[in-house]
Amino acid sequence: MTRRLTVAIVMTLAAVMSATAARAAEPKEIPITIENNQFSPEEIKVKAGEPFVLVVTNKDKAPEEFESKELRIEKVVPAGKTMKIRVRALKPGTYPFVGEYHEKTAKGRIIAE
Amino acid sequence: MGATFVVTLREAFEAALLLGIVYAYLERVGARTEYRWVTLGGVLGLVASVLAGVAVSFLSGPLLDLGPDLVAAAVIFVAVALLTWHGWWMRQHARAIKGDVQRRIDEARATQRLWIVGLVAFTGVFREGAETVLFLWGLMSQTTISGWGGVTGGVLGVATAAVLGWAIFRGGRQLSLPRFFAVTSVLLVVVAAGLFSTGIGKLIGLGFIPAADPLWDTSWLLRDDSVVGGFLSGLSGYRARPTAPEIIGYVGYLVGAGLLLFTPRTPPTPRAAAPDREASRPSAGVLS
Repeated sequence: MTRRLTVAIVMTLAAVMSATAARAAEPKEIPITIENNQFSPEEIKVKAGEPFVLVVTNKDKAPEEFESKELRIEKVVPAGKTMKIRVRALKPGTYPFVGEYHEKTAKGRIIAE
Repeated sequence: MGATFVVTLREAFEAALLLGIVYAYLERVGARTEYRWVTLGGVLGLVASVLAGVAVSFLSGPLLDLGPDLVAAAVIFVAVALLTWHGWWMRQHARAIKGDVQRRIDEARATQRLWIVGLVAFTGVFREGAETVLFLWGLMSQTTISGWGGVTGGVLGVATAAVLGWAIFRGGRQLSLPRFFAVTSVLLVVVAAGLFSTGIGKLIGLGFIPAADPLWDTSWLLRDDSVVGGFLSGLSGYRARPTAPEIIGYVGYLVGAGLLLFTPRTPPTPRAAAPDREASRPSAGVLS
């Protein structure tokens, strides 16, 4: 049973990896910075229907978790690091996000139009 | 302080719930000596969480961009598989446990596989563990005077989750044996269904499953990020704005696991049937 489970996991990972590799066409990168537990900019405008990549840089001394319940994204960005978050093509609308570790101050939204 | 309390309580609750159930389960099947598997699983889960936290802080590049997400998704589906297996196993036990003699035999047999119960504990702790570790770490590295309140809140959140887990463990000991099995089976299936749909949500977020619009919106009633919403999310996979794939996954899992775990199976297995008849009389009073 354990071996089968391992095989299943490895195969899933392999499938997922190859699926990622296949998507070679580079989507647009949009920078966003976390500083003093706030996002900058707080409002990001994107074209609806086109996937994009958020390049999140955390300039604070503490990790932050970029989270959008709406987009089902949860991603820890350690202190001083830059991370890329792929975002799927969105329908027109507003998609809020927060820094989960500082929800009161770290807020923003993606506006797809 | 309140904010950090809520974050860690929310993150640690699911782990506490699973640990409480698994410990209570071992106690109830008379395998108290096997607690060590769960303890070991939990401790290793904690160690893995710290290592993952360290890894995330020192890695960089594409591995960092995608790695943690893939690990997180894999952990979710492994946890679902383990919980399903555990539920199935409990069902076997519930049937076999009617007599003391049978119980001893089963106990011995059970110890052979108890490391898998340890795995349940491991995945339970590891799933949100790395996030919680990073969060607390972040709080501590930011300690100004006001920061200490945050640290205290964060630690208290974990502690409160642990107390809830303990309460579940104690509550599990109060129930009669058949009721304990019935309640925990249902509970674990619901938790697993919630995890399954969370996993599907994760795959949607990563773009591996096509996205869909939410089918309904109950955020006016209960937000995902509220305390109660967080509890319900850990307990039952509550989402204020679920999408079709998540709902299909949730219901699909419930139906599948329900068929596997709750349909009466005929004819009864010979192993369970024969000793039962002998042992049912003396144990009847204990069980009811």
